[in-house]
Amino acid sequence: MTHDTNQNASERGRSLSALLRAWSWIVEGLAALGTILIGVLMLIICADIVARNLMGASLPMVSELGALTLVMIVYLQLAATIRADRLARTEIWFPGFCDRHPRGGAVLGGLFNLTAAGLLGLIAWASLRIIAKDYEAGEFIGVPGIATMVVWPFRVMIILGVAVAALEAALRMAAAFRNAARGGLT
Amino acid sequence: MSPVEIGFFAIAGLLVLIFIGMPIGISMLGVSLVGVAFIRNEVVATRMIAAVANDALEEYLFAVVPLFVLMGLLVTVSNVGRDTFEVFERLLKRVTAGLGIATVFANAVFASITGISIASATVFARVAVPEMKRHGYTNTFATGVVAGSSVLGMMIPPSLLMIVYAVLAEESVGRMFLAGIGPGILLSLIFMITILLLARTRPDFVFTDTADTAEYHDITTGQMVRKAVPILSLMLLVLGGLYGGFFNPTEAGAAGAAGALVIALLRKSLTGGALWKLLVETGQITVSVLFLIMAATFFSRMLALSGVPRELAQIFLEGSIGAVGFLILYLALIIVLGCLIDSISIMLILLPIALPVAEAAGFDLIWFGVMTVVAVEMGLLTPPFGLSVYTIKSAMTDPDLSVGDIFRGAFPFVLAMLASLVILALFPSIATWLARL
Repeated sequence: MTHDTNQNASERGRSLSALLRAWSWIVEGLAALGTILIGVLMLIICADIVARNLMGASLPMVSELGALTLVMIVYLQLAATIRADRLARTEIWFPGFCDRHPRGGAVLGGLFNLTAAGLLGLIAWASLRIIAKDYEAGEFIGVPGIATMVVWPFRVMIILGVAVAALEAALRMAAAFRNAARGGLT
Repeated sequence: MSPVEIGFFAIAGLLVLIFIGMPIGISMLGVSLVGVAFIRNEVVATRMIAAVANDALEEYLFAVVPLFVLMGLLVTVSNVGRDTFEVFERLLKRVTAGLGIATVFANAVFASITGISIASATVFARVAVPEMKRHGYTNTFATGVVAGSSVLGMMIPPSLLMIVYAVLAEESVGRMFLAGIGPGILLSLIFMITILLLARTRPDFVFTDTADTAEYHDITTGQMVRKAVPILSLMLLVLGGLYGGFFNPTEAGAAGAAGALVIALLRKSLTGGALWKLLVETGQITVSVLFLIMAATFFSRMLALSGVPRELAQIFLEGSIGAVGFLILYLALIIVLGCLIDSISIMLILLPIALPVAEAAGFDLIWFGVMTVVAVEMGLLTPPFGLSVYTIKSAMTDPDLSVGDIFRGAFPFVLAMLASLVILALFPSIATWLARL
């Protein structure tokens, strides 16, 4: 009997770790897309400079496209930034507190991630309304008759990035609380 | 509770959260959301946070951040910094403490193609410090000079801090860049005087061995010219393009990044894997900066709703403190915070509160920005969290070198910056003359 439950548990553990691996692919994949977009941004703008100074005509939509690309770069990489713990924070008090009270430190770290998950989740949820509005109104960038592009696909990418970041923060929160339950020792 | 009280509570809450180590951007979003919910209601708060998250960053101008960061990282790997140092080393080899001065000027020139102090600190820790040690300078002085002069990276255009300030104060980035040139030159000169004074009055602080017998690598004039060409052409491309009216700041960033990429490729100092790593690093710096800017936008909208800035302006300007008192308090607060928090976060926390007061006091906002950046940069050199100092420590991989030694070496330069702050306060035209031309 005990043998059976152990096997079940380890199978569950394996599918959980497979799930976590898939999740890490999603987070890193979005970040890689954001990374590529930095290069794309550079190329779009350089193309515009060349077109304007050599051929005397600006490329259409560059400034709006550049702005939207930048917003995508930020949100697509947000989850990876949270995962790498690269969001700016002070280290005046927290590291010392963690050393003195490992369990308290893990709980507090979990609460920070809970806040992050809550706020980012709220942003993602409240942005749905903005997408719906842009979609219904057929919001676009560019000049009609020359070149235009609808805005809502960009908004979908942005919301996707925020939602994945919210989930990543939630996962880190769960890990921190589990760690606290085990006594806070990593 | 009145909106003003809610605003003050939000500021206090923000400071507590930041102190206990919650990520600064998350703290700002959180207190602002709660603040707006109390001042108005939850529906308004939810709509505002979504609107800020979607719109605040949708500016063509912000594309300048990843581009200048990428350019800075590319020139870091492509040995342009080493060449600049070698040129100045050759020019100044007969001067007392000439290598110290060469480091300052090489940094000033390198600063005009990079906008981040950590880039300068990394490059010159690897290039200038070993060379200075070889010529009998102390470890403390050598690393102190590199730390001190790395702040020029944020002063002389292009500069990430100037961009952030320009965004928050709604000033033009081009003008803020111009405003950094005069003070950047002033800082370089004061650093030079500091080095000469140290060499004369405290030779044991500067030299381990005053009779410098080590050989200089002699480079011919031809080699010197060849070493100077890449950096000069990048300067010409970025600054010339910007002020010749060919580029706006975003385009200058793109052209600079592309130019730096070409130089790195021509020198074969870049593999595909290294380029990808630089792009990833660029992305992470960009996210942490722009996420903070987004959060600070929400924070400043919440404050505007609460009426706190108006209230503060009244307290400072109609009370006994006055405009000058406000300026001194503000700069002192920045310097103190600089010991605890990184530069960009300080600006994003304080400026939404301080800018309306500065405007009400009738300050020239370009000059106010330059003062802010100089004060913020002092934080890079002060313990316990001087970022430049830690960057140098990690770039050096020398176990004998303690962080305390670098802080001690950088301290004369902190004093020099304080002196420049006073000079800039007395003669604002050093900053504003070019920018207002």
